[in-house]
Amino acid sequence: MATITFHHEGADDDVVEVPEGTSIMRAAVTNGVAGIVGECGGQAMCATCHIYVRDEYLDALPPISDDEEEMLECATAPVLDDRSRLGCQIKLGGGLTTVEVDVPASQV
Amino acid sequence: MTTTTTRPAPVADWVTINDLYADPYPIFRRMREEAPVHWVPAVNRYMVVSYDACHTIEQDPDRFTAREQGSLMYKAMGHSMLRKDDPEHAVERAAYGGVLKPRAIKESWTSVFEANTEKYIAHLKEVGSGADLIRHFAAPFAAANLVEILGTLGADWHDMERWSQHMIDGTGNYADDPEVWARALTARDEVETMIDELAPHYRANPDHTLLSHLVNSGIPMEAVKANMCMSIGGGVNEPRDAVGTTIWALLLDDAQREAVLGDPPRWADAFEESVRWVAPIGMYPRQVTGDTVLEGIELPAGARVGVCLGAANRDPQVWEDPESFDLTRAKKPHLAFGGGQHFCAGTWVARASVAQVALPRLFAEFPNLRLDPDHAATVGGWVFRGMLTLPVQWA
Repeated sequence: MATITFHHEGADDDVVEVPEGTSIMRAAVTNGVAGIVGECGGQAMCATCHIYVRDEYLDALPPISDDEEEMLECATAPVLDDRSRLGCQIKLGGGLTTVEVDVPASQV
Repeated sequence: MTTTTTRPAPVADWVTINDLYADPYPIFRRMREEAPVHWVPAVNRYMVVSYDACHTIEQDPDRFTAREQGSLMYKAMGHSMLRKDDPEHAVERAAYGGVLKPRAIKESWTSVFEANTEKYIAHLKEVGSGADLIRHFAAPFAAANLVEILGTLGADWHDMERWSQHMIDGTGNYADDPEVWARALTARDEVETMIDELAPHYRANPDHTLLSHLVNSGIPMEAVKANMCMSIGGGVNEPRDAVGTTIWALLLDDAQREAVLGDPPRWADAFEESVRWVAPIGMYPRQVTGDTVLEGIELPAGARVGVCLGAANRDPQVWEDPESFDLTRAKKPHLAFGGGQHFCAGTWVARASVAQVALPRLFAEFPNLRLDPDHAATVGGWVFRGMLTLPVQWA
């Protein structure tokens, strides 16, 4: 199992446990985490699962693909150079069994 | 331990297709107040009308398959990815590559949208004040953009619009009208013949168009044709209707119009609110794979359901005052573009062509744009809904 902590501005954290291989977007949607929409179901088509990964986990992330980068440019909340990712493109497992992310103020 | 009570779907025998076509929203409202899912004899399927139930279906293709048995779309357009599930669907979706996505739009298509906006603004002026914004702008604009994006060399916007309308009409031909079928099959045949003629050209000269990507993707020609037909079907109607409905909403309400004219980034809000308010695709089908329960309503294996996005988008559980167009409302994710695997592939094309290019230019060009007081605008549809006519004046 892997653990994801979702930090929200002005609200309690959500801590969810998911099987390895689950994406951050899927974990959020399945567990009803507020502020992550995941409209396109994980195809990097909609930019509604934008998250900010906390610094200490950045090195364990998979590299960002062209598709992900293209779609991040369409995100509603400000995009931060290193920390902004699409939750659908990051699967837990391998070197990433714990991660903490901040949920942006808006996805739409 | 909690026990969940389930019940069969109520039978909405009071719903008629004519009433749905004229104005589905009072019907959706009455249904939603009673149950999230109803059996509707007039359309021979279950209609799903709450936001949560529609959203659940979109995110759960294992229980609700897109591969609907007997879908009229197979006959009208062929079997496109719209009626397939992953992993089969994903192969065809991947064949689209980046053609309809933001980077390609910026590099190749925005200039097309700008040129077509100018061209059909000029056309409106030729027709003169009193023109129909649908017939003289929105339809040719959407169809001409699609000719370029699809790469249907030699076709003009009239062909594109006719193919689109006739194949769409076939897809919705539940009355089995032989004349509707004849027109749909002629359109499909013309499109397929054109693809056979253009395929060798695009194999030898690949470019940035959709047809080029599809014929070079390795998917079977049958799939190339079906997906082209589906893209033609959706690629005219939906942006045309988004243009029409947004303009209508803004011309009906001075305060809304002033809110957007004073604040250009608000065009995106106007567009999103418009497709929430009147979703261009109001209903799409799914089929239940095994006995299941949706929001407390029992659905048997094989049941055909209509996912009513037009109803979900006005669910008062989600939106305050949902029947009103209000571009200043709190932003929430609407379902107009669908969700999950079948999230609309043309979403970004619609946003760019309609909200970034056409609407701001039109209102800048015609600052006195207003509804024609002598000719009322007309609106219709529920499976697909939009303005039928939108007579306007600007002099």
